[in-house]
Amino acid sequence: MDCKELRDLVSELWGGELSAEAREHLSNCAGCEALWRDARLVQAGLRALAEEAAPEPSLGFASRLVRRLQEWQEKGARSEFFETVGRRFVYATLALTLALLLSMALPTSGPVRGVAGADFLGLQSHSQSSQPDVIGGDFGDSHELTPGGPTD
Amino acid sequence: MPYSESEVTREVECIRRVQKGEGAAFGQLVERHQQRIFSIVFHLVRRRDEVEDLAQEIFLKAYRAIRSYNFQSSFATWLSRIAVNHCYDYLRKVRASRLSYYSEMTEESAHELERKAESPPPQGLDHGEKLALRDFVGRLLARAPEDDQVILTLKELEDYSVEEIADLLRLKPSTVKVRLHRARKRMLADLERWRQEGK
Repeated sequence: MDCKELRDLVSELWGGELSAEAREHLSNCAGCEALWRDARLVQAGLRALAEEAAPEPSLGFASRLVRRLQEWQEKGARSEFFETVGRRFVYATLALTLALLLSMALPTSGPVRGVAGADFLGLQSHSQSSQPDVIGGDFGDSHELTPGGPTD
Repeated sequence: MPYSESEVTREVECIRRVQKGEGAAFGQLVERHQQRIFSIVFHLVRRRDEVEDLAQEIFLKAYRAIRSYNFQSSFATWLSRIAVNHCYDYLRKVRASRLSYYSEMTEESAHELERKAESPPPQGLDHGEKLALRDFVGRLLARAPEDDQVILTLKELEDYSVEEIADLLRLKPSTVKVRLHRARKRMLADLERWRQEGK
């Protein structure tokens, strides 16, 4: 048995009995003998660790946990409600804002100012009747369209 | 701890009630399994002051995930799996601070501890020596990679069988055996290295 085989065996047996062949190797190899002692030391330490008792749950651990769960559920339900309502409110506000913006932006973005806006708002007839025409307004009409020129 | 048939039936009913949203029924499950979870957490993280908080987080996680529990493995195994995974994440998170703790620990004090632990034969330790050995091997275990810590703790401290560990970690038993073997080898090599660094 060589050192590598013995090292493998030590980790594999882990506390089990070594064969006569392995024991013979140990008696002739200081390095492997030290490893064997280390393994026993670690095993004893692990046993001591296993014996160490875990702390007990504090009094009322389970009921406190359930209370926390219920709070968490209520909070979750509440926040879900507000989240849904809030989300709807945001959507409604956005839609309203968009409609307002469109109503304000479209008149100024059309090819013809004023008239397009009036079209959009359905005020075309009113606009046409009340706005003076820059080409043929009241004065122009009376002046240009008077047949035969001024009568003295 | 093996359960009687009626206990298993009661537990199944309890789980179904929790799955339907009856939070109060979860308390019974917590009471039944808290000892096991505290033990796993304590042996894995080895910090008494953290055990209860971690256990609470584990139970909260289990509660949130309980609808996904499909009765394929036992509830104890399912819950222990959550605990092991949670502790594994915790160990990874605290690794940096743990390393700095070791670097702060003087070599002299580390080797003094080791000398104390080694001086008597392991079989005949008195109480103080046993504490020193326990502390020493606990520190050695904490130096190991997280995977090694988990597998060694489950086998050596929690006394799970290879098959139980395989079920818990979703591995083949042969893989568990290989990993155990490697983890032990690495631990011994680390001890050897630690000793040589001190020479």
